Amino acid sequence: MNAAEVVNTLLVQRFGVSPADITDETPLRSLRLDSLALEELRVLIEERLDIDLDEVSLTPRNTVGQLVTAVDGNVPA
Amino acid sequence: MTARQEPFSAAVTGLGLVTAAGVGAKATWHSVTQETVPSGVSHQEELADLPCDFMYTIADLDTTELLGVATQRLMDRFSQLAVIAAREAVADAGLDPESWDSGRVAVVIGSAHGGLPFYDQQHVAMAGRGARRVSPKLAPLTVVNSAASSVCMDLGAQGPSLGVATACSSGTVAVGTAHQLLRAGVCDIAIAGGAESVLSRLLIASACQMKAVSTRRDDPATACRPFDVGRDGFVVGEGAGLLVLERPEHANARRAPVRAHVRGYGASSDAYAAVAPDPEGNGIERALRSALADAQVQGRDVGHVNAHGTSTIVNDRVEATVLRRVLGDHPLVTSTKGMTGHALGAAGGIETALTVLALEQQLVPPTANLHVPDPRIPIDIVRTEARQAAFDCAVKTSLGFGGHNAALVLTR
Repeated sequence: MNAAEVVNTLLVQRFGVSPADITDETPLRSLRLDSLALEELRVLIEERLDIDLDEVSLTPRNTVGQLVTAVDGNVPA
Repeated sequence: MTARQEPFSAAVTGLGLVTAAGVGAKATWHSVTQETVPSGVSHQEELADLPCDFMYTIADLDTTELLGVATQRLMDRFSQLAVIAAREAVADAGLDPESWDSGRVAVVIGSAHGGLPFYDQQHVAMAGRGARRVSPKLAPLTVVNSAASSVCMDLGAQGPSLGVATACSSGTVAVGTAHQLLRAGVCDIAIAGGAESVLSRLLIASACQMKAVSTRRDDPATACRPFDVGRDGFVVGEGAGLLVLERPEHANARRAPVRAHVRGYGASSDAYAAVAPDPEGNGIERALRSALADAQVQGRDVGHVNAHGTSTIVNDRVEATVLRRVLGDHPLVTSTKGMTGHALGAAGGIETALTVLALEQQLVPPTANLHVPDPRIPIDIVRTEARQAAFDCAVKTSLGFGGHNAALVLTR
């Protein structure tokens, strides 16, 4: 599974986001992800991909695309 | 000195029950009055090999379907059960959260252990995978007040709210606290009761070490047998029981059907031991006498008692002795825990709701699994089948680890 698939799957399965609402440009806050939800999502992505996102700064203003890019940057090639 | 006030009758206008005896007040009442063999108790994989490896759980409840993932993710199971029961209670009361005066709606929910299962899971995550794999939502999900805040959020209730933690009397103390908030005029409506869900290997392992729970592993369905000569400990159950209480003039103004009244409340502390009740029952006696005085009723007025009746050797003997001493031998006493299990902090909420139904239906549920009454128990315990009777006043008693005692007086 690539980063986009992992992020999308977690948003749907763990945060109840409708798949139709997810685009690269969608700000995370408009998917009702607040700062607590983002920290939870961070742990879930780390667990799923066995990576470390400790240095990645995440805010609800970031878009789904920005999150995927940040995750991609931490996935070993 | 006693600061005596006029009695205050809070109107009970709604009930919500989610128990191992049934989902919904109607289903639970049907099981506890019409059946005497519990269907909700079974062996649990989580508890495998423990001296007590069974528990009362709620079957056929799809919490994700009812709540949705986005709502459910912010609650451990005890809070989920509270929200489901609160929705039922508010709908039963005919209240509309879109139009009520939300700042005048209080929420008071008791729980003994809160989100212990999530605590457990996260401890396992930290021990196995390190601190960086621990969820950031440990505090909001596990605190005992999480059921109350979840209900507030779900219903948009914006009055005073709190969790109540007095171990196994939490639900009863929550209803009593709501009675006091209504009497003080700080709210018009209070949603009150208890919620608990602790399918936790850690907790049950410890309860086994304490020798507090039944070890009748070969026949879980008969393990919880309150007041029976062969009782050997309680059996934990999960569930939630909530009542909608209103200031009487508030219920009258909207012409709400009143199902019963909460008229008196008394609480006390044994100041005796961490677990064992005062062997003379002085603590529960003080709570019961205070509740009767608060309601301005006499022992002879009480026709029915929904007892704490946990199925431990000491509780049932001490409690029964006190009921006899304070009320006499005439009230029809029951313990409904044979059907629901001991839902710990939820027990008082569930059983107060069942007491409301008993008053309304003039019907006392039988004590399931009571076949040979303990000869040392000097009271009239309803068993085998439900008993029809005429009574205008009923009592709910609860005792909690730590010596927290509570009693409520309810009237028609």
